[in-house]
Amino acid sequence: MDLVFKALADESRRRLLDRLRADNGQTLNQLCAGLPGMTRQAVSKHLALLEEANLIAAIKRGREKLHYLNPVPIHEIAERWIGKFERSRLDALSQLKKALEARDE
Amino acid sequence: MNRPQTMLDPTSFKPKSVYRTYIAATPEKVWQALVDPSFTTRYFFGLSAEVEPRTGGRFRLLWPDGREHITGEVVDWSPPRRLCVSWDIQNMPPFSELPTTLVTYDIEPAGAVTRLTMTESHDWDVPREIMIGGEEGWPKIISGLKSLLETGNPLTFDMSEGPAPEFVAAVQKAADEKPWLKK
Repeated sequence: MDLVFKALADESRRRLLDRLRADNGQTLNQLCAGLPGMTRQAVSKHLALLEEANLIAAIKRGREKLHYLNPVPIHEIAERWIGKFERSRLDALSQLKKALEARDE
Repeated sequence: MNRPQTMLDPTSFKPKSVYRTYIAATPEKVWQALVDPSFTTRYFFGLSAEVEPRTGGRFRLLWPDGREHITGEVVDWSPPRRLCVSWDIQNMPPFSELPTTLVTYDIEPAGAVTRLTMTESHDWDVPREIMIGGEEGWPKIISGLKSLLETGNPLTFDMSEGPAPEFVAAVQKAADEKPWLKK
């Protein structure tokens, strides 16, 4: 769990996860192409950390290594601290946050 | 020795979602949790697995009242390392109109624990909205299996909500347009 929080504490790594949520199962090359502001070396390093935290599962398919967003650890954190009665309240809060952020744009 | 015949060509399927967890249990125990109905009923939304123990055998997931939820075949039976089954959803429109899904479980020793990787593969270009809908359920199943093996207690689920409306809408759209036929 420490690894998960450490991995999520970095904005670049959160962006990598966002890229995979939009389009799952990408190669290193595809991820680099989608993140022009990051060097290949940086993307590689961030991927390794995310994989170590089990937030990304990489599988080999032929010669390619494909990276997938693995939602299981995040689900386990949610299970630990968020009861089902809290969810609806949280949903309301995140809706409010989204509405406020939309106003900023 | 003839290779067992299966009905579908697994090579035409591409992995679309991957779920992975590390479990403090032996690979044999993890395997048992996947194929033994007395285990699956406790973490798989109450469904009991019925798996014919051979490649090419029959695979089903049944509701507590015996109705079929999922039917398919065993594409790869390699205990305790790999179980691959095909999935066809039954009696649940619009979901049951979707083409066959391939579900593969890979079980590998990882130091003192066991790594379980579930891969969901498809032979058509599944819209992301549909995959994200499925991502609601699978983590619950996978982490429920882990809890059951590690603590003896499965997690409890609130199943009253049902699938999200946008998930159902995305599946309905696919069922109407049948994009898998345009190959």
